[in-house]
Amino acid sequence: MHTGLHGRGALFDTDPPGLASRLVGLRPYQLRSTPYEHPGELPFVVFAGGRGLGKSAVLRELRDAYRGHTPVALIDGEDRQFAAPPPERPAEAWSPVGQALTTIAEQLAEPVTGAGRIGFPRLAAGLLAVAAGGWSNRDVPRIRQEAERILLLNETGSWLSGFAGRWVSKVISKLVASMSGTGPVVEPIIEATLEAFAEGIAPAHRRLRKAATWYRDYPNAGGSPKLALILLSRHFRAGGDSLRHAERHLVRALLADLDDAYSGVMQRSHRRGRPVVLIDNVQEPAGLGLLEPVLRDRADGITDQVVFCAALRGYAHPALRNAGRRTLPEAARESGWEPGTSPSSRALLVSLPPLTPDDTLHIVDTVAQGPSPAPGAADVPPHLPHATHRLTGGSPLGITLLAGSARQNLPQGADSLGQLLTADVALHEDRDGRPTYQELLAHLVPGGRLDELTVLAAAHDRDSACVLAEAQLPEDFGASGVLDLEERLTAEGWPTASGQFVGDPFLRALLLLRLHHGDPDHARWRAVHRTLVDHYRDTGEPAAQDTARYRLHHELALGKADSAVAHLRDTFPRTDTRVWLSSLLFIASAPYFHPHDPDGRDFDGHDHRASVALGRTDAAQQPPDSVDAVLHLRVRRLLHAVWQLTDPLVLPDPKVTERLRFELEQLSNLRPAGNALLWRASRDWPADALAGRPFHVPGDDDEIGNGGR
Amino acid sequence: MARVWTWLREDIWEIRFRRYVALTLVAALVGLGVWGGMTAAKENRSCAPGVVQPKGSDECVGVSWTTYAFRRPQFAETIRAINRENHRLSPGSYVTVALLEPFTASDADNLGDVLHELQGAYLAQYQANHDTTGLKPKIRLVLANPGATGAHWRHTVDQLERMTKGPDRLRAVTGVGLSTDNNKKAVQELTRRGIPVIGSSITADDLANGQDGKDPFPGLARVSPTNTDEARALASFAKVSAADAFLVYDRTGDPYTRTLQRSFEKMLKGSRYEAQPFTPPADRSKEGSTANVFAQVSNILCNTPKTTDTVLFAGRHTQLRQFINALGARGCVDRRFTVLTGDEGSYLAGDKDLDPAALKDPLLTVRYTALAHPDAWPKDAARTGGSAADAKVLRDLLASAAREPAGPIGKVGLDDGQLIIAYDAMRLAVHGIRGASPTGKVPALRDVGLQWPQVKGKQLRVNGASGWICLDAHGNPYDKAVPIVELTPDSRTRFVRIAWPEGKPPAKECLPPS
Repeated sequence: MHTGLHGRGALFDTDPPGLASRLVGLRPYQLRSTPYEHPGELPFVVFAGGRGLGKSAVLRELRDAYRGHTPVALIDGEDRQFAAPPPERPAEAWSPVGQALTTIAEQLAEPVTGAGRIGFPRLAAGLLAVAAGGWSNRDVPRIRQEAERILLLNETGSWLSGFAGRWVSKVISKLVASMSGTGPVVEPIIEATLEAFAEGIAPAHRRLRKAATWYRDYPNAGGSPKLALILLSRHFRAGGDSLRHAERHLVRALLADLDDAYSGVMQRSHRRGRPVVLIDNVQEPAGLGLLEPVLRDRADGITDQVVFCAALRGYAHPALRNAGRRTLPEAARESGWEPGTSPSSRALLVSLPPLTPDDTLHIVDTVAQGPSPAPGAADVPPHLPHATHRLTGGSPLGITLLAGSARQNLPQGADSLGQLLTADVALHEDRDGRPTYQELLAHLVPGGRLDELTVLAAAHDRDSACVLAEAQLPEDFGASGVLDLEERLTAEGWPTASGQFVGDPFLRALLLLRLHHGDPDHARWRAVHRTLVDHYRDTGEPAAQDTARYRLHHELALGKADSAVAHLRDTFPRTDTRVWLSSLLFIASAPYFHPHDPDGRDFDGHDHRASVALGRTDAAQQPPDSVDAVLHLRVRRLLHAVWQLTDPLVLPDPKVTERLRFELEQLSNLRPAGNALLWRASRDWPADALAGRPFHVPGDDDEIGNGGR
Repeated sequence: MARVWTWLREDIWEIRFRRYVALTLVAALVGLGVWGGMTAAKENRSCAPGVVQPKGSDECVGVSWTTYAFRRPQFAETIRAINRENHRLSPGSYVTVALLEPFTASDADNLGDVLHELQGAYLAQYQANHDTTGLKPKIRLVLANPGATGAHWRHTVDQLERMTKGPDRLRAVTGVGLSTDNNKKAVQELTRRGIPVIGSSITADDLANGQDGKDPFPGLARVSPTNTDEARALASFAKVSAADAFLVYDRTGDPYTRTLQRSFEKMLKGSRYEAQPFTPPADRSKEGSTANVFAQVSNILCNTPKTTDTVLFAGRHTQLRQFINALGARGCVDRRFTVLTGDEGSYLAGDKDLDPAALKDPLLTVRYTALAHPDAWPKDAARTGGSAADAKVLRDLLASAAREPAGPIGKVGLDDGQLIIAYDAMRLAVHGIRGASPTGKVPALRDVGLQWPQVKGKQLRVNGASGWICLDAHGNPYDKAVPIVELTPDSRTRFVRIAWPEGKPPAKECLPPS
């Protein structure tokens, strides 16, 4: 069976069974059982990762894979319905968890192959008691509406239960009738509910009676379901810890109802596998309100057999302190998870890795060309998949959107990454397109502060960021804004990298692209870089070596290569080769968008780096008299070659690659001391460039400048 | 196909409830299929209710209680009359008597016999059910066919036994027909299972009780005298001297020919001549090659002294006919011969294969002992052992059977005596049944057979149309009238006179001596 996701085989494999199969007990997309890995208690699986890593896609895929075969529910903690109560509904009778439970139960109730609807009488009774806390006898239509939604959770769709719709309207009439006068509402409603549950002798009604008695164990209820529900309603309205307590019981009610659907010989003979609850953005209140009670109950020995899979933005959360940690590939064959003693140890944090170059190739091929390419379709340039992977670092969102852009824009002749990024992409056929990089940023950095982050993307650390904020951003932003953004980036799971304020190269590239295209004459772009050039101006201090490379980096970004060439040429004979190479890489990692005239203005719209690197402009160059002209030109060619080949936005040019190899070989002859290192680089870098890998100083595992994560 | 397989694998097999339901359904379907296949593969071998074709045979054998006529149209009218009579009986008021005859016989002689037996049995049934005294129980008549040669006797006997239990209440079997080995086995098995049997035309000595003091057929009663008795009657009639008689006999023999041969041999003790055997084909109604043998036998006869004028023939009727034809063509036309034989001679009357020249030969006389003859009592003056009045009862019945409600019963022929003897046998069966149940209730099966030794004396004897039927302790008739019949030149029979096994008619009391 095909799954729509690439690179997630560890989760969706069938043979040998992947993580999903082993948890649910069913193969994805097939109604075929597989052995459980955790027949007793199973982990609360939390997929961790930053934005754009495909967590939501994984959850959606899980839902699609099991829909119709076993009960599945998918909620998103960021969904608007969990943010605030609907209008007219009093806030004290509503909570994100209550809303989430209703939504989950509605989805889980759907019939599956072999079995009918699941009824949730316990949850319905609890939710009704809670909702009654917000009712008064003035707004009967709203009461009807809310009560109907809750009571329909009882619906099993079995012909044995008769016309459930009729039962619901009967009960609602009873509830409304019970609210006489101006007295308290909750008690009569609960009384009428329990009365309605206790009526009838059909099997469905027996189920309801059993459900009503379930609440007898509520603390301090003294064995009376009625008192229990009144207390539940009161606790819920009280807020704070009482609310947590009430919510925990509601979650328990949902799980008990689910348990009911799986207990008994007849029930079990109708169902295979376990029910699945998927919670996206579990860090939001609606998600945490489900995660914490479930973990606590499981730690307390109140077990359930529900497969919980959640998606957490970032890689850590206070509620998951002791959770088991795996990467997805580690959990491919077995998770090896064992529950500990603390509630959070009942969770298994599975981090989603970026996609591999192979996955990128498959996605670009399938998305850009479709499964069966039409004869007239434009061919995908052979380097595009690798370049895409190099730019995105394996981000599924980036790869998919770029491939989508390629499908829409390749026929128009846009074949470089820069062109594909700036070209419009329409995510839906009925929607207007907008530039791909904007579309990507909208997904990666939603919720404001994008303008500020765009400016700060040029910064290298907190200091340079503060300088930039002071010079380029509104006054009220300031240093605190910088810290706030820095924390937000970490919280959302973005990686950090030394030497860059925005650690993730893909996000940084997009932000810099946005910075460049922010205004027609790129004034902002130039202003930002000049600010940083000033910040890193040569102070003559011992650390000048370091500040120089920053300054030269930004000068290069502004199109001025001369001082960089001079610096590299002059330092070549006397500096340690390793340091020199890393300086070269850092300086050459400067963003490049258009050739600029000395004033920083575009003049022809063509990338001149390749022609410089290939020596076509050497004749026009006048190296200073006092220097070794050959070395000067060689360093100049080398700088432009590295600049071109490490530019994430440009497809590597094979001719430049070849030239790079040659220049490095030549340089290695000039420096007997660093001979081996330069020689190694002359072999590694061309290969890395062609393979779409970032350049590294040979033998140096630290990532410098243009690196991965 | 793959989709169906996936559907079966995932949507049926994986859901245990559906798996079990599907397995149950499949098992039921397979069972149904197997049953259907077996039913379809099984030939419909049923001919009519109760009548089937056994494997490897195209004969319809079994017990019939409908209007099914065994594909013999000549039986149809009589069987319809029987069916009508059977349907007049109210349920529970009757017992059943089966008429065991080879209904599927194919040769005209046997068919004629069976028809006459059928008619006789029916007339007795009709009389028993409609007699003015209103005696009970009423009698239902069913037809049991063991096959033309009796080969399927076991099937029919099994079926008859089943009918003794349950609502049929079978209480006696009459008829039996010829004294063949199969019939003997059938009678043996029927009596072994306690079913009373009344033989109508069986005459063989070894198909009777009391031979050598043994009773191998408990519950068997006979209406016809044994071959021995016939031979004794014949001897008393013809005054055969051992010196002047010549015996021709069936070498392989069946119970009838063997006992007749033995009786003749007893008479001819000290004969001058060796007896002449012949070997007939297995089915004695077939011609075979015996005609040549008889031509030579007649040649031998011509070589005997002139005083030898009596030929005793112990064989079946086909061979008898061939023998008479051979004698008719004998060389010594001047010699007078009288052929004496048992009741098989009755088949000769009207036999178209009989040489007319032989019949018209004034020096050749054929005489035989008939089981019964219509002219016997009206013409004979014997005052005991039977009466013309008893014979007239049957004649009156026959007259009434020409039309509704009793008839019609088809073409009637009395000359061969089968009708008369079958009528008497049925009357004896009714006598036994009613004797076993003086209150008119249904008698126990075995009680019927226990009645036979008491059928004697003035009151308890059966005054049959063929003569008195007084049974001895073994169920054999005592001193039963034996009509001697002669074949006329126009191929008819002429009653000569009644002969008596004891040499004279029984006394009025009709009690066999000890």
